[in-house]
Amino acid sequence: MPDVPSANTTQPTPIFVPMGRWAVAAAPAVIRTLLGSCAGVVLYEPQLKVGGLAHIVLPDSRGSVDHPGKYADTAIPALIEDLERLAGRRLRPRLTAKLLGCANMFQSSGNLEIGRLNRIAVERILAESNVPLTRSDIGGDAGRNLTFCTSTGIVAVKVPGGASYDV
Amino acid sequence: METTLNEPQKRLLAAIFEIGAEHAARALSGWLGRPVRLVVSSVRQVDLEAACEVLGAADTLVAACPMELRGPLAGQIILVFDDRAGLALVDFLLRQPEGTTTTWGELEQSAARETANIVGCAYLNSLAAHLPTSSAEKTLEPGPPSFRHEFAASLLQFALMDQATQSDQLLLIDTRFLAEEVELEWTLLLVPSGDSLRSLISASSP
Repeated sequence: MPDVPSANTTQPTPIFVPMGRWAVAAAPAVIRTLLGSCAGVVLYEPQLKVGGLAHIVLPDSRGSVDHPGKYADTAIPALIEDLERLAGRRLRPRLTAKLLGCANMFQSSGNLEIGRLNRIAVERILAESNVPLTRSDIGGDAGRNLTFCTSTGIVAVKVPGGASYDV
Repeated sequence: METTLNEPQKRLLAAIFEIGAEHAARALSGWLGRPVRLVVSSVRQVDLEAACEVLGAADTLVAACPMELRGPLAGQIILVFDDRAGLALVDFLLRQPEGTTTTWGELEQSAARETANIVGCAYLNSLAAHLPTSSAEKTLEPGPPSFRHEFAASLLQFALMDQATQSDQLLLIDTRFLAEEVELEWTLLLVPSGDSLRSLISASSP
């Protein structure tokens, strides 16, 4: 059995991740967030059933250390470090990633550019960290309501007025 | 450059935006033919983490009519209502019993957009007359309103993204109205762009 911390409840209380933060948990746990133009990065290790979610706002911290969860270049390494601390061992190369969000409701060029730069930054940092990106669900002009189950690694996505689907 | 308002700056801007909100309430009252009361008018600067709770629970579905602002006060002005209040507004405008409208069809969306246009223009006309000089050199004109059905937190993320590129403290001007005799409550959000936030702070400095 994996030697990782685990909640004892059969129906775990969802952990909500606000803008610019991240969370990690071992199964059974549920991690939730709401995305618009931000990027949601979900990391998962299927044998130990540990996973985490980062709610990233911008691509580059430019050296700022005040809000590591806000930026792709600081949030992803912090998320990996927390996951490995939770598991008590190195998780790569079994760790895989999913990228969600990066939508754009407003057509102003600034918003479009941030979504694109977030995607590029996340892909680059994951590659540098030896974490393969296995699935993406990005773009469009609507928000996404994510529910990540650490028992299965599945991310359930709801969009406003639309059907739910799994990523 | 500073991106955080101090208390005197907040008070000055709150007084100016409240005048705008009162104009908007009068316009809404004229549009509905009913008294409309201004419930709250506040200038808030909140952390990233708190920003997405400003409209209530993050996953609440809201109807929203955003209008893009350009010029000296750029950003977004958004009329937001929960489904119940939004659909009740449509029933009221169409002179039909409350509860008749249950979905957002084209007619219903058009009624919401027109309401946003009236409220938003009244608000901005007042602001143009009262904002500090460097922020009101030109008429404040919104783009045409669109209609969105969106999660509250996602809507706020979209609107706040430009400010988030420049500051960890996000400025929202939050105005709430209540129409008397009918259960109609709306929120009008004004979200300045990052550049406009800096202009507002600079212009409201003593």
